[in-house]
Amino acid sequence: MFQSFVGLEIHIHLLTKTKVFCGCKAEFGDEPNTNICPVCMGYPGVLPALNEKAIEMAYLVAYALNCKLNPMAVFERKNYFYPDLPKNYQISQFRSPVGTNGFIDLKYRNIKKRVKIREVHLEEDAGKMIHAGDISLLDFNRTGTPLLEIVTMPDLEVGEEAELFLQNFRRMVRYLDVCDGNMEEGSLRCDANISVNLRGKGLGKKVEIKNLNSFKFVRKALNYEIGRQTEIIERGGSIAQETRLWNENRDVTESMRIKESENDYRYFPDPDLPPFRPDDLFITNIKNRIVEMPEKRRKRFIEEYGLTGLQADFICEEKERADFFENTIKLGADPENTALWLASDVKKMLNRYSTALKGSRLTETRFFELLNLLKEKRIHGKIAKQVLEVVFKEDKSPVDIIREKGWEQITDRTKLSAVIEKVLKENSAAVQAIRSGDNKPLGFLVGEVMKTTSGRADPGIVHDILKEKLSLTFIHIISMGGAITGELTDDGTVVPGNPDIIIKQVEQKTGFSKKIRLEEISISAILSEEITPDDWSSLIFRVADLLNSQDTSGIVITHGTDTLAYTASLLFWLFPQPLIPIIFTAAFSPFTEKTAEKTSNKMSRSNAIINLSSSIEEAAHLSPGVYIYLDDRILSPLNLKFEKAAPGGFRNWNLKQPVFAGKPVKNVSQELFSRENILKKLKTAVNNTFLVKTFAGMRGDILIKMMDSGITNFILETYDTGTANLSESPYSLKKAFSTGRERGVRFFCTSQQETTIDFSRYITSRELWKEGAIPMGSLTAESVYTRILACYILAESEEELINLMEDTGAYTY
Amino acid sequence: MPEWDKILSNPEKFKKWKEAAVFLDKNIKCFLEFDPEKGIKLSGTGAPADRPETEPADKPLSGIPFAVKDNIAVKSFKLTCGSKILSNFVSPYTATAVTKLQNNGAVVIGKTNLDEFGMGSSTENSAFSPTHNPWDVKRVPGGSSGGSAAAVAAGLVPFALGSDTGGSIRQPASFCGVYGLKPTYGSVSRFGLVAYASSLEVIGIISKTVSMLKNVFNVMKGEDPLDHSSLPAEEKTPAGKTAKIGLPKELKSIELYPSVRKTLDSTIRNYKQMGYAISEISLPTLEYVVSAYYVIATAEASANLARFDGIRYGERDFSAENPEELMLSSRNRGFGKEVKLRILLGTYVLRSGFQEQYYLRAQKIRTAIRKDLQKAFESVDAVLLPVYPRPAFKPGSKEMDPFSQKLADIFTSTANLAGIPAVSFPAAVEEGLPVGMQLLAPPFAEKLLFSMCRDYEKVFPSPNPPDNYFNRSI
Repeated sequence: MFQSFVGLEIHIHLLTKTKVFCGCKAEFGDEPNTNICPVCMGYPGVLPALNEKAIEMAYLVAYALNCKLNPMAVFERKNYFYPDLPKNYQISQFRSPVGTNGFIDLKYRNIKKRVKIREVHLEEDAGKMIHAGDISLLDFNRTGTPLLEIVTMPDLEVGEEAELFLQNFRRMVRYLDVCDGNMEEGSLRCDANISVNLRGKGLGKKVEIKNLNSFKFVRKALNYEIGRQTEIIERGGSIAQETRLWNENRDVTESMRIKESENDYRYFPDPDLPPFRPDDLFITNIKNRIVEMPEKRRKRFIEEYGLTGLQADFICEEKERADFFENTIKLGADPENTALWLASDVKKMLNRYSTALKGSRLTETRFFELLNLLKEKRIHGKIAKQVLEVVFKEDKSPVDIIREKGWEQITDRTKLSAVIEKVLKENSAAVQAIRSGDNKPLGFLVGEVMKTTSGRADPGIVHDILKEKLSLTFIHIISMGGAITGELTDDGTVVPGNPDIIIKQVEQKTGFSKKIRLEEISISAILSEEITPDDWSSLIFRVADLLNSQDTSGIVITHGTDTLAYTASLLFWLFPQPLIPIIFTAAFSPFTEKTAEKTSNKMSRSNAIINLSSSIEEAAHLSPGVYIYLDDRILSPLNLKFEKAAPGGFRNWNLKQPVFAGKPVKNVSQELFSRENILKKLKTAVNNTFLVKTFAGMRGDILIKMMDSGITNFILETYDTGTANLSESPYSLKKAFSTGRERGVRFFCTSQQETTIDFSRYITSRELWKEGAIPMGSLTAESVYTRILACYILAESEEELINLMEDTGAYTY
Repeated sequence: MPEWDKILSNPEKFKKWKEAAVFLDKNIKCFLEFDPEKGIKLSGTGAPADRPETEPADKPLSGIPFAVKDNIAVKSFKLTCGSKILSNFVSPYTATAVTKLQNNGAVVIGKTNLDEFGMGSSTENSAFSPTHNPWDVKRVPGGSSGGSAAAVAAGLVPFALGSDTGGSIRQPASFCGVYGLKPTYGSVSRFGLVAYASSLEVIGIISKTVSMLKNVFNVMKGEDPLDHSSLPAEEKTPAGKTAKIGLPKELKSIELYPSVRKTLDSTIRNYKQMGYAISEISLPTLEYVVSAYYVIATAEASANLARFDGIRYGERDFSAENPEELMLSSRNRGFGKEVKLRILLGTYVLRSGFQEQYYLRAQKIRTAIRKDLQKAFESVDAVLLPVYPRPAFKPGSKEMDPFSQKLADIFTSTANLAGIPAVSFPAAVEEGLPVGMQLLAPPFAEKLLFSMCRDYEKVFPSPNPPDNYFNRSI
C-alpha cells in the first residue's frame, strides 16, 4: 500500500504600485525594459529600500494563514547566477521569514484536514529571458516586483486536494486584495513537491514539478506523477530526485534536470537591509485590515443563513458578492431567497449588461425591496423577474416600478373573499358538483376568480379561500404497483392488480369523514423490482403537478417493497420541503377476502388495507414532509433499508432521529419540471450510475468493463462480510480507480457499518477516499444512488451536475 | 594655503591650478579621470569665467573643488572602481553623499585611483596604473583610497572622498600625511558607494585640515531614505580637554616599525602635555580581528561583486556563445587577481555546512570586539592606536607581500567591525615619511575626534611633501 505526499510552493505577485526595493512601477506587461532604474537593474553602488506596502501585505497574508508572525523578519541574499537576475543574488528570506507555522483547514470529499503552512516569505522577482533564434533577449520590467512565497508542508495527498487548496488560497488573497490570483498571467504561480512511498515509511524521494500554470494542470500533473512514481516503486525501481515539467500537450510530466544534490544558495543576511521589526502599531494595523476569510465566511453562511454548500460557494467566491449578499440580509431579506436570486436572475442580468454587482443599478436597497415585495406577496415570481429587468433597464426602484406599471398583486383576503363569494354565487352548478364529490370544477372556479381580477389575484390565497368555503380536504392516492395493489394467484405468486379494488375496500370499511376526498392516480401496475425511469419520471411529474396545483392536502403513494427505499429517497431529494405530507405505504401481500378473514398467521395476513387507510388519515393530518408509513410506524425516506429480517421488513440505518424534510440538493422551483425533461435526464442518470456491493471476491477489473459501457458514477458499498481490496490483483479496485481517474469517472463510497463493526481488516471508506472516492458519510447506498439521480434531474449543466454530486456536505445526517 | 573657494571661479587661478595638477599627476597618477569643467557644469556653479570672483559664498562649501574615489558614483563621470570590468562605465546617477556636497557648493573635479573595488592597501591593485606617494614616488600612497590621499597630500584639492572598509581611508591618509575620517557606520549614506563589504564600509573624508574634515562631514552626514542602514547622526559631545585617552596594553606585544613606535610614544607625550589623561585599557579580542574581518568582508564581497557579469553594463566578451558563457568569460577577463582571490574566499566561507565554522564564527568575534570597545569606552573617551605597523612601503612584494599587508590591517579593521568612528591624523615625519596615528571613539562621537585632532593640529599640522601645489602656488 502506498502513501503520497504533496507540498506546494506558491508564489504570488503582490498588488503594490511600486517594486519591492525601488520606486519603479510594478507592472511587467509594459514595453520591455521601461519600468527599470539603477536599483532594480543592479547598477554598481545602489541599495535596496524596502517597500512598506509590500511588507504590510506579507504580514497580512501570514496573519490570514494563521502563521506565527515574526517579530524580526530578516532579508537574506540567495546567491545564484542567471542572466535575468541583475544582482546575481535574489533578496529573499531564509532563516527568519515573515511568518511560520500556519495552516489552512481544508475539506475535500467530506474529509476535513489541516494543511500546515511551513512559512511565508517576501522576496523579489527576477526578469524574463526569451530566446529568439540565436539571440537571447532580456526584459527587466518584472525584476524586483514583490513576490510572496508560501510553502506548505507535504500534507496533501492527491491532485484534486491540491487543486482545492490552491483555489481556497486564491480566494483568500483576492479577499485580502493583495493579489489578483491570475494563474494564466503568472501572478499566482505554483510548483509542487511530491513523493510516494510505502505506507508508514515516511517521505520518499522528492520530485519537483514546475510549469503548473492552471488549477487543472496542478491536479492532472500531480495525479499523473503519483501514478508514475507508484508504478516505478511497484516494479521494484527507485525514484530519481529530479525536477520535472508538466507537458500540457501530452498530459505527462517530463524530466527537466536530475538533482544530484541540492543547490547551495549560500544564504546570508543582506547587510543592506536591517531586519524588519514590526511594532505594536504595525501589528494592530495588520489585524485591523484582516477580513473574514472565504472558508470561514462560507461556513458561517451555511450555519447562520442555512445556505447549501453550493449556494455558499457561489456567494463567497467573490468578496464583493458576499458583501452584497450580507448587506441585503441586514436590510431584512430572507437569506435563501437572496441567494437563490443572486445565483439565477441577478446573475443573468449582470451577464446581460456585462457589469459587476458593485456599481450596477441593482443596489442592496433595491434588491431588498424586490425580495420584500415578493415576500409580502405584493407581486409573484413572474412579475418579480420583470421588475428586476426594469431595474436594470430604467434604473428605478422596484416599488416605483410596480406602482408605475400597476403590477401589484391582490393578496387582501377580504377583497378576494368578496370576489370568490361572487364567483361561487354565479356558478352554483359547479359548487353543487364539487359538494357531491366531483372535483373537476375546482379549477374552473379558480380560473373565474383570476379572470375577474385580471390575473392579479394571488393564486395560493384563492385556493385557500375556495377550499375553506367548500370545506374540502383532498387526498390524492398515487398507485405505483406492488403487492399492496396486487393480486394473489392460486399458486401463491403476486401479480399486478387493480388499485380500485383496495381503494373501494378502504372507503367501505373505514368510512372517512366526508371532508376527505380521495382521488386515485394509477401510474404503474408493475411489481416494484421492475421499476423503470419511465415510472419514476411519471411519479415525479405528477407529484410536482399536484404540489403546484395546490388542490391537494396530502399525497399517499402505494408502492412495492423491494424498491421503496429508492423511490422514497428520490422524492425526498427532489421535494425536501413539500407544502403537504407525502406518504409512502406498502404491503407484503395483496389483499384478498381470503387473507383478510381466514389467516390467523400475522405474517401472511395482508396489511394492505390497514396501511393504506392509516396513511390516508395521516396524510390529512401530518405536517408537511416525506414519510413512509408501515404497520403503525413512521419511517424516514432517508436511509431506508429493506431487509426482510428487520421488524416489519424495513428500518432506518444510521439515523439518530428520522428525517422527513431537509435541505434541498438545489433550490429549484417545481414549475421547472417537465415530464420529458425528467425522463430524459433520469435515463441518462440510470445509464451512467451503478451501485456495487464491494464484496470479497469481486473482480475489480469488471468495473473497467462497466466504464467501457458508459458508467461514470460508481457507488461502492463496503460490507462487513469482507471487501474487495486495493492490492495488485484482478480482484483489486486499484486499477479501476486509476482508470476511472483518467476517464473522469466518479466513485462514491458508503460504509453503513463502519461505526458499529470492526473494519480494521478490511478496506475502509477512508482508504477508498484516498484513492479518489467521495465518502457519503452515513447515507445508505440507496439514498446515495437516488441522490445522484436527483442531481441529474436538477442540474442545468455538466459543471453544475458535478458540483451537485460532489457537494455532499449538507446531507451527512 | 590657497584660497580654495576662488580657484574655480577665477579663470587665471583656475588655469594655473589645472596646469599644476596635470603636471603633478604625471608623477603621482592619482586621478583616473580629471575633468574640472564637467564638474563645474554639474554643480551648477557655471563655467569659471561666468562666475564673478566677488560672488559671496553663501553655501558652506561654495566653490570648493574636491576629488572622489572612483568607487563612488558621480553622474556623467566614469565609475570604474579601478577595474577593467567597469573601464568604460559612466554612472547614470550620483551618490547621496556627493549630491549633498554639490548642493552645498562643492565641485567634483575628478575621480581618483584605487585598488580594484577597494581591495588592497597600496593602490597597486588598480587595473589602470599604480598611484605614487607624493612624499616619495618610489613608495606606495597606501590604499585603497590611495588616489584620494595622494591628491590631497599633493595639494591638488583641499579634500577628497574615500571609502573605508578595513582602513582604506586612514592607512593612505597616514602614508601621505593628511587627515582621514572613517565616520560611524550609518552616519553617511552608502547609496552610490560601489559595495565591497556592505556591513563594514562607509564613505569618509581625506583632508588637509581638521576644519575641512569637520565641515565636509557635517554636510555629508544624516539619514538617507535610499540607504536603510543609514541612521540619523545623533551628536555626542563629550568633554574636550578633560577627555581620557585609552591605550590598549596589547600594543606592547605587537611588533611595530621603529618610526611608528617612536611616533606612538611622542603622540602620547604630546597629548599628556596638552592635559589629556592617558590610561591603559584592554582589547583582548584584538588578535582575532583580522581573521574575522577577512571572513566577513570576502563573504559579502562574493555576493556584492556577483552583479558584474557583462550582461547589462561593463566589459563584455562578445565572442561568447550563450549568456552563461558570456557571464563566465566577462568575469574571468574583467576581474584582477586580488578580486578573484577574495571572491573565492568569500564563496568558500559561505558554503552551506561551513557557515558555522567561518561566517557565523566571524560574526561572534565581531560581537566580542564591539563589546570590548563598549567596555573600554566606559572608562575612557577615546582609544589611541597606530594606523599601520609601518610607514609607506615600496611597491611589489619586496617590503610587504599581500599577506602581510592583510595582517597589518589589525589596527584599522577594528573600527569597521565595531562600526565606530575613527580618525587618522598626521603625528610626525620620520625618516622623511609622514606617520599617522589613530583615534577611535564611541558611535557618533565624531565631534570629539575633531576636537582632539584640532588640538594636535595646533602642535603638528599636516606636513607638506617636497613637491606640491602649495609650493607652486605660493
